[in-house]
Amino acid sequence: MDKQLELLQGTLDMLILKAVSLGSLHGYGILLRIQQISKDRLEIQQGSLYPALYRLEHQGWIASEWGESENNRKAKYYRLTTAGKRRLQAETENWNRMADVIAGILRTTPEEV
Amino acid sequence: MSWWTRIRSWSHATIRRGRVEREMDAELRFHVESYTEDLILSGVPEAEAMRRARLEFGGLEQTKEVCREARGTNLVESLTQDVRFGLRLMRKSPGFTAVAVVTLALGIGANTMVFSVVNALLLRPLPVERPNELAFVENTHFGPGQSFPNYKDLRDHNRTFAGLIGYRIAPMEMKSDGGAQRVWGYLATGNYFEVLGVQPVLGRFFTQSEDLNPGASPYAVLSYNAWRSRFGADKAIVGKTIRLNRLPYTVLGVAPADFHGTERFYWPEVWVPMMMQPRIESNSWLDNRHDWNTWVIGRLKANISQAQAEADLNAIAVELAHEYPDVNDRLHFSLAKPGLIGNMVGGPTKAFAFGVLILAALVLLAACTNLASMLAARAVDRQRELAIRLAIGAGRGRVVRQVLIETLMVSFLGGGIGYALASFLSKALSHWRAPMDFPVQFNVNPDWRVFVFALLVSTAASAMFGSAPAWRASRTDANLVLKGNPPTWLVGRLNFRDILVVVQVALCFVLVAGCLISLRGLQQALRLNLGFEPQHVAVAAFDLGLAGYSPERGRAFQQQALQAIQQLPGVQSAAYSNSVPLSIDQSTTDVSPADKTELRPSDNIEAVYYQVSPGFFATMGTRLLAGREFTWHDDEKSQQVAIVNLAFARRVLHSDNAFDAVGKRFRGGPLGPLTEVIGIVEDGKYQSLTESQQPAIFWSVLQFYNSSTTIEVKSVLPGTQITAEIRRTVAQLDPGLPLYGTGGLEQMLGFAFFPSHAAAIALSAFGVLAIILAGTGIHGLVAYSVSRCTHEIGIRMALGARSVQVLHLVLGKTAALLLVGSIVGLILAVAMGQMMASIVYQAQPHDPWVMLAVLLTVALLGLSACWSPARRAARVDPIVALRYE
Repeated sequence: MDKQLELLQGTLDMLILKAVSLGSLHGYGILLRIQQISKDRLEIQQGSLYPALYRLEHQGWIASEWGESENNRKAKYYRLTTAGKRRLQAETENWNRMADVIAGILRTTPEEV
Repeated sequence: MSWWTRIRSWSHATIRRGRVEREMDAELRFHVESYTEDLILSGVPEAEAMRRARLEFGGLEQTKEVCREARGTNLVESLTQDVRFGLRLMRKSPGFTAVAVVTLALGIGANTMVFSVVNALLLRPLPVERPNELAFVENTHFGPGQSFPNYKDLRDHNRTFAGLIGYRIAPMEMKSDGGAQRVWGYLATGNYFEVLGVQPVLGRFFTQSEDLNPGASPYAVLSYNAWRSRFGADKAIVGKTIRLNRLPYTVLGVAPADFHGTERFYWPEVWVPMMMQPRIESNSWLDNRHDWNTWVIGRLKANISQAQAEADLNAIAVELAHEYPDVNDRLHFSLAKPGLIGNMVGGPTKAFAFGVLILAALVLLAACTNLASMLAARAVDRQRELAIRLAIGAGRGRVVRQVLIETLMVSFLGGGIGYALASFLSKALSHWRAPMDFPVQFNVNPDWRVFVFALLVSTAASAMFGSAPAWRASRTDANLVLKGNPPTWLVGRLNFRDILVVVQVALCFVLVAGCLISLRGLQQALRLNLGFEPQHVAVAAFDLGLAGYSPERGRAFQQQALQAIQQLPGVQSAAYSNSVPLSIDQSTTDVSPADKTELRPSDNIEAVYYQVSPGFFATMGTRLLAGREFTWHDDEKSQQVAIVNLAFARRVLHSDNAFDAVGKRFRGGPLGPLTEVIGIVEDGKYQSLTESQQPAIFWSVLQFYNSSTTIEVKSVLPGTQITAEIRRTVAQLDPGLPLYGTGGLEQMLGFAFFPSHAAAIALSAFGVLAIILAGTGIHGLVAYSVSRCTHEIGIRMALGARSVQVLHLVLGKTAALLLVGSIVGLILAVAMGQMMASIVYQAQPHDPWVMLAVLLTVALLGLSACWSPARRAARVDPIVALRYE
């Protein structure tokens, strides 16, 4: 297994929004989905997931309801709200721009300056 | 909100909170269990899987706490939690809670009580329309009164007042179903009610047009209380006739219940138009510019400042001084807040109120210091609890808030009880009438201002004593505490609690000093040479003018009454006069030496005067220094004579020797040109206890009649018996004549001693409070340190220390603290002495005996507070003490 990357400050919220935008999930499912998409290259503190979920729900970007899990147990499912969709879009654009800028800076060679 | 809704909303919140908590728990457990199952599926043994799942998830409780905060809605919830926790703590240590609450209740109660009096006397607006527009017009250089002609000139020529009223406090004889009684009322100009903007509860008030010609407006307005108590709240009273001074007056209406005129301490029973003055009082002064009997209040026009109004009035003053130079010389007006007769009563009242407020604040400070040291002691014990809470995931902010809420709860509980206590006392005080023949009464019932004050004081108190424990809680280092060596809490090298004890002892010292200084001042004031001996003298007063007697008939009646009373068994001597020194009724006149020929008004010397019968000085116990007393021959047919006091001889007659003064003459006074002095008596106090030595004149009542009569009787009989005898004797001569002010002369002087008495009572209460607070504070400290040191004491005793050495150990530090506190207190008390002296008459700010007494009190207090804990320390059994851990 490759060495895991530590999550950048403030990116967990974005990843959660993305994960639930693909379909509603319970907390554990969100963790699994992020690990699956990232091919286990990100290290996520399991405990830190829930305060983030509660915060996002309090801000109105995700909503929750109780449902039945794959193994027939009661679980709390989260889905993206309309406001959450807009938020995800804005954050994604923001992130891409930031990534371009940073990447551009890091690519710079002495001749280009 | 009704009780039912309250209970419902509370239970909803509780149920919902329970659900949210359960859901959070289920969600987190689901996560951990799902992860465990996945781990097992991937081949990890079950026990190992469970361990790893838990480990990787992190602290469950910590996560929950962060989630609760993230959810954002938990402020109310966690506050409820804090309050419930606080309640549990309070129940767990009832002793501590009780002491804290009682301490605060006393401190806050004292402050609230003082504030409600200050509120009633100075802050609460008068119950009239737009009270802040009203201003009392007083003379800048002398007393509060104006002459009635001057009032009329001011009223008619000013350009800055919407209205100017003139009024005067006046006693009158009122006849109702209960018989004739002397009551106190107001003479008021016709515009009085209109300018003040008061509405009657029954009938109507008199108006300007009903107050134009002397004697032509026999109308009366009753106060609400008089209507209820004297006329049985008779709804049909309007239009009925009542008798004032035995003449008929028509009742026009009844004033509202909360309206007692414009003086805050005086509750009149009746208002009569000013033009009836000649019928109400025996001599008419409505056209006399020499009698300064009228008080004046004006309502400023809109947008007129006080300075503009004063300038306007003083422009008129210049004209009046020009027109009537003999009386209006140096006339100058200034405006004061209405309610306390301008600055005459208002000035001293403000100074006194300020002083007492400072003392009350000091008591509260002492109470807070007490609590702070108690809490500091407790905080050491609670360190472990706080550390555990921090370790299992409570945020620091949360812990600090918890501690603050605890102190706030104690504070509000104490404040609530204090407020209840204070409002109970103020209600009692509002019903209380000073024991004197004058309707002094205050409405000190608490209003919203008092409530807000109590609330603010409670909050401030909890901030004062709660901030230190909260600060300490915020700095708790969980690791250090739980490892078992809590950091000692040092400020420099002195313990914080030690500093509190020093502060407390100093405060106690100051308060006890204030209390003793005032009590000693009062004691000295009581032993002051009054110029007469009130012991064993009974007095009774009646007014023949109010009862309709002509001067001739009055004169005869006075002598008849005196003769009858002199015949009573047990009477040693008796006399009569218009008034007695230090009663409310005092008159002054201007006199000048006989040798002055060219007189300017400023050469006049003011003297107090009395009209007395033969035997007056013997009865009153006033020493005659030279010359002779009056005889029954000093009447209208003989030469005009007077007896004066030593101060008069010195200032007017320029004789330092009493014998030189006899036979000299002086000019002026109400009787006219020249009066010969036939006797000199000792100096005394006449208008107030605090006055400097004043010249006084005693005229022969046979030459200078006054219908107002006070009979003085010196007898061996007990006071109540002799007053009953006097009453019976006078009733035989005129059954309808109301007597007032009957009783022992000492009690009658209550008016003069009232301020000192009130001050002494208030200050003593504060002193006692301070002693209680300091006592419990010191006791608490020593008891606590002994209990903390039991182990150490045990070791020392096991190693051979004797009881004396242990006592030395325990008491040494306390004694040092007491000493330091006393020194600080002594410095403060000396600095504050001047203020004390201004509050209490005769108080010596630097009386060494008082300071010594305070020092002894504080030392005794310290010793007795230390006694039981010190004994406990000395009796520590080393075996028990060492087994203790």
